[in-house]
Amino acid sequence: MKHPLAFAAAAAALATLPFWAGDQYQLHLAALIGAYWILIAGLNLVVGFSGQLSVGHVGLLAIGAYGFAIVAGTHGVDPWIALAASGALGALCGFLLGLPSLRLPGFYFAMATLAFALIVTELVLALDGLTGGGLGLSVPTFPEPFDTPAGNYWLILAVASLVTLLTWNVARLMWGRGLICVRDSVVTAQAVGIPVLHAKLAAFVFSGLTAGLGGALFAVIQSYITPDTFLFELGMFFFVCIIIGGRGSILGPFLGTVVLTALPELSAPLAKLGNFFYGLLLLLVVLLLPEGIGRLFQIAMERLRPRRIESMPIAPHPQRLTDAIKAGQR
Amino acid sequence: MSLRRVLLGTAAVALAWATGVFAQEPIRIGWLSSLTGPLSSAAIAENQGVQFAVEEINRTGGVNGRKLELVTRDTAGDPTKAVNLAKQLAFTEKVHVVIGPVNSGESLATVPILARAGIPNLIIGSVDELVDPKKYPNAFRAINTNRQWIEAANHYALDVIKRRKIAVIGDTSGYGTSSAKTAAELLEKAGVKPVYSVLVDPNKTDLTDEVNKARAAGADVVMPWSAATGLLARLLNTRGDMDWNVPIVGHPALMAPAIRELVNKPEYWGNAVAAGYVSTTYDDKGRLPAATQALIDKLHGKMGKGEIDYMLWWVALGYDTVKIVEHAVKQAGGTDPKAIRRALENTRALPGVYATYSWSAQQRNGFPDHQIVMNQANSFKDGAYRAAK
Amino acid sequence: MLSALIAGLATGALYAAAALVYNVMFSTSKVLSVTAGHTAMLGGVFGAWFMQVLGLPVPLALIGSVVVGGAFGLLTDIVAIRRVLARSDEHLWLLSTLALATMVQQAIALWWGTEPRPFPRVIPQDFGAGLLDQKYWLPVIVAIGLAIGLEVFYRRTLYGKLFVAMSEDIFAARARGIPTDRIRMLSYVMAGAMGGLAGFAAGQLTFAYFALGLTLTLNGFIALAVGGLGSNVGALVGGAALGILSSIATYYVGGEFQQTISVGLLMVVLLLKPEGLFGTRNVRPV
Repeated sequence: MKHPLAFAAAAAALATLPFWAGDQYQLHLAALIGAYWILIAGLNLVVGFSGQLSVGHVGLLAIGAYGFAIVAGTHGVDPWIALAASGALGALCGFLLGLPSLRLPGFYFAMATLAFALIVTELVLALDGLTGGGLGLSVPTFPEPFDTPAGNYWLILAVASLVTLLTWNVARLMWGRGLICVRDSVVTAQAVGIPVLHAKLAAFVFSGLTAGLGGALFAVIQSYITPDTFLFELGMFFFVCIIIGGRGSILGPFLGTVVLTALPELSAPLAKLGNFFYGLLLLLVVLLLPEGIGRLFQIAMERLRPRRIESMPIAPHPQRLTDAIKAGQR
Repeated sequence: MSLRRVLLGTAAVALAWATGVFAQEPIRIGWLSSLTGPLSSAAIAENQGVQFAVEEINRTGGVNGRKLELVTRDTAGDPTKAVNLAKQLAFTEKVHVVIGPVNSGESLATVPILARAGIPNLIIGSVDELVDPKKYPNAFRAINTNRQWIEAANHYALDVIKRRKIAVIGDTSGYGTSSAKTAAELLEKAGVKPVYSVLVDPNKTDLTDEVNKARAAGADVVMPWSAATGLLARLLNTRGDMDWNVPIVGHPALMAPAIRELVNKPEYWGNAVAAGYVSTTYDDKGRLPAATQALIDKLHGKMGKGEIDYMLWWVALGYDTVKIVEHAVKQAGGTDPKAIRRALENTRALPGVYATYSWSAQQRNGFPDHQIVMNQANSFKDGAYRAAK
Repeated sequence: MLSALIAGLATGALYAAAALVYNVMFSTSKVLSVTAGHTAMLGGVFGAWFMQVLGLPVPLALIGSVVVGGAFGLLTDIVAIRRVLARSDEHLWLLSTLALATMVQQAIALWWGTEPRPFPRVIPQDFGAGLLDQKYWLPVIVAIGLAIGLEVFYRRTLYGKLFVAMSEDIFAARARGIPTDRIRMLSYVMAGAMGGLAGFAAGQLTFAYFALGLTLTLNGFIALAVGGLGSNVGALVGGAALGILSSIATYYVGGEFQQTISVGLLMVVLLLKPEGLFGTRNVRPV
């Protein structure tokens, strides 16, 4: 933690957002960003750290959302249990998807996740007894005091903080180093004894868990879900947030999520361009700034406040040396 | 700016103030429209009607001296965006009434949100589940329901051309699956079980099998429930190429002008009948209802005398929604949501261009059954159609 | 049933053509470009535009579509491949081609519209021809023709041999004085032109539709992975197998599970024979 003060200020600002946000619309956007971030934080370990390019997490999001709507809505189970069940379901589906597809080389894996997202949409429509088919399902809210916009926001904030903390711990400890090694060179990873498939799969299952949780909370914010909500473009969006924010960092993708969710809301012409805009951003970042915008931010910070390079020169001390030699001779 | 113009401007403001135009805040109408993205053609036409009506009302001094102010938001057909924008309209823009969204998938998501925000909502999506006087007391539907379309088409197939062996074709999109299901249910209620029913991917390149199977099952009428014009055109083409002269009866998209380009031969579009509206159907002498003709004349005045190459009813519907707002505000004497709700609940036979609307405390569907009529799909001319025989 | 087979074969031929496009780009750059399906989409859309909007005769429109496809291939190389390969990070090309594919699809959606638009008759023929209709057989002929043409090109021409040399070992090829950048550019133009031709030939089957690209990218890739990466015969067989399987599955089960079935095929083949039916195992991690 390099800047405890800045961190404390940001945390306080986020926690008190419902008091100073302009209106419910802005609070809604903040909650939406939070739900997206819960998914993206987990996906970040897969895409940004272990380098597996999954474009199909929208399928896992849909599974979490429908899981919650079916368990809590159709069957009337307690929403908290349903939330946990959505997370578990997401993790299970992540496991089932990851086990065969993570063995595949990069492009094959990306196409497998793309196909997975399309299959989920197809099944949601086909199994209309369960999912309501094209008509979709209405989603229940959490019990008091989490049923108001502010309460809902705080709940999402709490889950998002927990997930962020977990990913931060994973990222900076041995696991994160191992994943980065897998991303940069599988051969090296194998050579130094990292269980490659195991590490990738663990990260992927974790991302399934967060996608399930994020899906459940997303469904509550939406209050009604239809198959049209979970288009492939949304999966692209998650993916682009991470790449643009910068791989191998947590702050970068977070800023990416905030900016890319808020920008089209603030500017109507951008919304009109839609995916063209995301594609252009992605291309520019890949060509000009492969480390992501987060890196640019970092460079700017270092320019503003150059890091002091601490040098600890060891001055020669001949007297001690001669003493030691003498002591040895004796 | 010259002094003279400043003075003139000041005088105009003073005059306006005196006559009360500025005395009250404008009536803010939120308009959720999918102007880009898939299914944008209906929204673009509706948008013309909405804007036209707002301009017209403002030109004649507004409603009760208050100007109308249109706040348009493009949802691009995406439910997530629609929810965001619905909240934006409700809480940031603080609109008095919301029209839309256009697509049912978006409406399903926004209606509960606007209901919770307590904002009157005029619905123009046709899925039956959208309105509910208890859950969403502020939501009033101006368009017909899906069920009304299907019932009209079923009535035509069963009672007018007296067919009993029906093949139902839906597409695998959300709207297609639910419509095909409703259609099959309604047919079974009428005592007719479809001899063949299938769901097809809207982008499927070839329908030969499905049509062959329908034919083998002995179908004597094919009823497609899909809004995908590409799919409907392929259905018409396959039927034509096979030389099978079975009537096709179904969704209004069957008579979209775009179909003309997509069919292999013009005659393939014949013997196809779709659910349409009395308001945009020519009578025996080739005349449209007076209200529709009046709207066309006004549109011609604004956009030139050229032929209308889009479906007129979308424009009429958009035009009417604003007129309904005008009516409700006048009756309610203001923009208080409760008063507007009461005003709409007590509305009986409000004449519009698109339809005559009636709502009540229990009934939130304003469109009367008898204003749906079956049209000859290939009879498109100047925005309107001929009735099916 | 016969009609299901033939319709499946025709769709499969289009998948096979997309797989061939992948193959040509892969041979010189070892890149699987997401834009493979979009070249065919452009061929269909521009073919329709040349004929219906500009009123050009069929041969000119055909040439136009091929040129547009080739130009898009060139653009792919310049924008998405050249700089990225120079930096040699193995993931980045996936991102850059995905970005370019997304932009092209959205640009076509904004310009051409999101509704499918008609594609005119290419050869005068009565519409009542049934299963002999040109819309089924044009894509099949084009796909087979492209595969044969590619084999001849690889075996009989100098440039073809350069392609093969580059696909075997790009460093050795460069060491022997082959201008690898120019050859790669040529292969992308060629791949784009092939895609444009295939999209034009299949236009009557698919209509001119903006979202065709992504479907073809996915299904063309499945055909390629099933048939074996790098093999042209494999591409034909994989495409035909995929097209016929999904068509027959739709015939018996209905359209609701189409995607699930085609991906199921991919998974089965990858589990049993990861290199594909006609592929060669080529594992050299270090």
